[in-house]
Amino acid sequence: MAETLHNLVLGFSIALSPPILLYAFVGCVVGTLVGVLPGVGPLAGISLLLPATFGLDATRAIVMLAGIYYGAMYGGSTTSILMRIPGEAASVMTCIDGYAMARKGRAGAALAIAAVGSYVAGTASVVGLMLLAPPLALFALRFGPPEYFALLVLGLLVLAYMSSGSMLRALAMATLGLLLGMIGIDQMTGYFRYSYGVVELGDGIGVVPVAVGLFGLAEILATAGLPTPPQVLRPALRELLPTRQEWRDSAWPIARGTVLGFLIGIVPGSAHIISSFVSYGVERRLSKRPEEFGQGAVAGVAGPESANNSATSGAFVPMLALGVPSGPIPAVMLAAMMVHGVSPGPLLIREQPGLFWGFIASMYVGNLVLLILNLPLVGVFVNILRVPYPILYPSILAFCILGVYAVNGSVVDVWIMLLMGALGYLLRKLGFETAPIVLGVVLAPMIEMALRQSLAMSDGQYAIFLTRPISATLLGVGLVLITLGLKPLVTRSLDWRARLALAEKGDEQR
Amino acid sequence: MNRSRAFWLVVIAGLAAVAPVLAQEPYPSRPITIVAPFPPGGVADLTARPVAAAMEKVLKNPVGVVNKTGAAGAVGMQFVATSKPDGYTLLLALSSISIIPEADKLFGRPPAFTVDQFAPIALISADPTILVVPANKPWKTAADFIEDAKNRPGQISYSSSGVYGTLHMAMELLSHAASIKLRHVPYAGAGPALTAILGGHVDALASGPAVVLPHIKAGKLRALAGWGDKRVAALPDVPTFKELGYPDAEFYIWAGVFAPRGTPEPVLAKLRETLRVAVGEGDFKGAMDKLETPIVFKQGAEFAAFFEADARRLAEGVRKVGRIESK
Repeated sequence: MAETLHNLVLGFSIALSPPILLYAFVGCVVGTLVGVLPGVGPLAGISLLLPATFGLDATRAIVMLAGIYYGAMYGGSTTSILMRIPGEAASVMTCIDGYAMARKGRAGAALAIAAVGSYVAGTASVVGLMLLAPPLALFALRFGPPEYFALLVLGLLVLAYMSSGSMLRALAMATLGLLLGMIGIDQMTGYFRYSYGVVELGDGIGVVPVAVGLFGLAEILATAGLPTPPQVLRPALRELLPTRQEWRDSAWPIARGTVLGFLIGIVPGSAHIISSFVSYGVERRLSKRPEEFGQGAVAGVAGPESANNSATSGAFVPMLALGVPSGPIPAVMLAAMMVHGVSPGPLLIREQPGLFWGFIASMYVGNLVLLILNLPLVGVFVNILRVPYPILYPSILAFCILGVYAVNGSVVDVWIMLLMGALGYLLRKLGFETAPIVLGVVLAPMIEMALRQSLAMSDGQYAIFLTRPISATLLGVGLVLITLGLKPLVTRSLDWRARLALAEKGDEQR
Repeated sequence: MNRSRAFWLVVIAGLAAVAPVLAQEPYPSRPITIVAPFPPGGVADLTARPVAAAMEKVLKNPVGVVNKTGAAGAVGMQFVATSKPDGYTLLLALSSISIIPEADKLFGRPPAFTVDQFAPIALISADPTILVVPANKPWKTAADFIEDAKNRPGQISYSSSGVYGTLHMAMELLSHAASIKLRHVPYAGAGPALTAILGGHVDALASGPAVVLPHIKAGKLRALAGWGDKRVAALPDVPTFKELGYPDAEFYIWAGVFAPRGTPEPVLAKLRETLRVAVGEGDFKGAMDKLETPIVFKQGAEFAAFFEADARRLAEGVRKVGRIESK
């Protein structure tokens, strides 16, 4: 412990030196921008800026790139809450309740809760990263394909809790998402599936164009179709702050989201995206008023926003402790280290204490900077809602197209987004929720890959999922969840979902 | 009205007169773009950037890098294959340039591009893959490994960067040369493949030396042999498969610069000369040193011969793997 403190002092002496502070600040600002721009996520942001860091020394480059990563997680909530456009993939869940809150005039509260939740999660998870990195990293490495598959199956079960109202409709949308996720090169055999000769479709359908289309574009189209345009919101200054009740309702979701996000974040792979989905499902399950979810429940903003932030710190655990590229973003950051002649590996913490502890300390500082940066911005951002719709919506549309194009420089992605916008509009008119489609698109390639890798490892023996302790445990938890879900069927009591469905039916008849 | 029309006529006539003159301007007279068909941070990108910087210094003309990614590099390669052969759009390609058309052929689909749509300019680097196993596995030498694989066909597993990817091909060339059968578990990229062997989920991996060196030094992985013509400088005790009697197991992760076919010979000559000087630049050497990637420069007929031999080996490798039927 004394050694940790000593090292931390070393870290802060590096992190608080003016040049490092400046690069951390620049990273945070760029990250916030990257997060706010629809479509452009942290991976695109870091990739675009990586060449710019080649002239810096290793610590500065890493501090700046990390700032972009967690800064994007702060910024991602902004457009989700204000306009129902996910700034990046991990903010999809924030769109649902955050936007509902904004429509009720609580946009300021939602933004403030998201920023504070992100700060708490960001800071707490750095503590976790600092104290637990080496043992946790070894644990994370034990996640091979079978464990990953079991985790994703758990994620899939969360789907069932995501939508309000009809379970059948939610499952239909999830299936559509899973089918869309099958498009592209089959990773195990190299066959092209449903690509129709379009080379770009070989990579499959990206989450970003789907999410921006289904949420953002569909919202714009739906609003344009209203007989009378919705009233321009004019939130008063005192309404910007969350009420005492809202704070109370978000305290536990923030705490749970932090732990959940960190644990999911350390697992190698792209699991960090599902951290926000899982957090949302958990919060709804634990809530005393699950029927409020989707209608502007503050817990539905607090949980996922905290989870996606602490997942970013979690993702650094295997990267820093073992030099393992645990996901696409850590992989780019490892490359940045190699460019600077730092070879990432198990000896990194010992050989480069300045880099490691400076990095840790800069994350404490960075999270504080982001909080200070984002809270006053709440007032600024909320004012966007005062812009009249004939001006606001066309500009958002332009930003969506630019953002989606910028990710891969691909026109095909823009077409996918436009098609998804039309589809989202149609589904909305028919009363389907679109969030399960996005989760399906995210999960399908991962779950398929993990399943088939597991079977390749075991030469086709399904027993591999039960003989490995972690995957068996995870699948056991899933089984318990299903059993709990079946309980109302047996006891014939109506759960909230059925009550809600009945209420909806009543609405329609009226 | 008439006057403005006359004005435009004059302008157009003027442009028409100037155009041929412009075309004869010395090359290069505007910025050159090097397309890296893989995302930033990958081998292609990390090689392309110092190459561009060094070329810029030699030519005193802007040289930029553009990442055009997608479909395992096919999108960017197709882009360069079909761009104007004027020397202003170049490609920094890896070995996969000869694998993709062969895999397209195998599946009977229209190829995204073919190898002869490119004019090779120069080879920049070539790094042999090395065979690593987790340090807690019993095999101390490549002979142990091969013998065990013979006794237990299909039981020893390895991870790769993806099906028909470079790391898969290296292992297949070895399997064929040593007549062994290994179990292939493809991953989505070299990074996840490394994570898999460090987590003990697979038994072996063919990898570029730079990324596994820290793990060898830390005692997590053991290097058994290399696919190179010579031993890897950083691992002088690790033999090559050639020394061990498997000359067909030769494989490099290489990076080279190509232009679209049809680029005029004077332009190609200028580019060859530029690259020859550029790879000798101190900054360029420093950058490649940090990446622990050896500079191997070949141009003209020498590079063409290397490229053809490599493409032949890989094409054969792809055909030997054949279509993978799902199981």
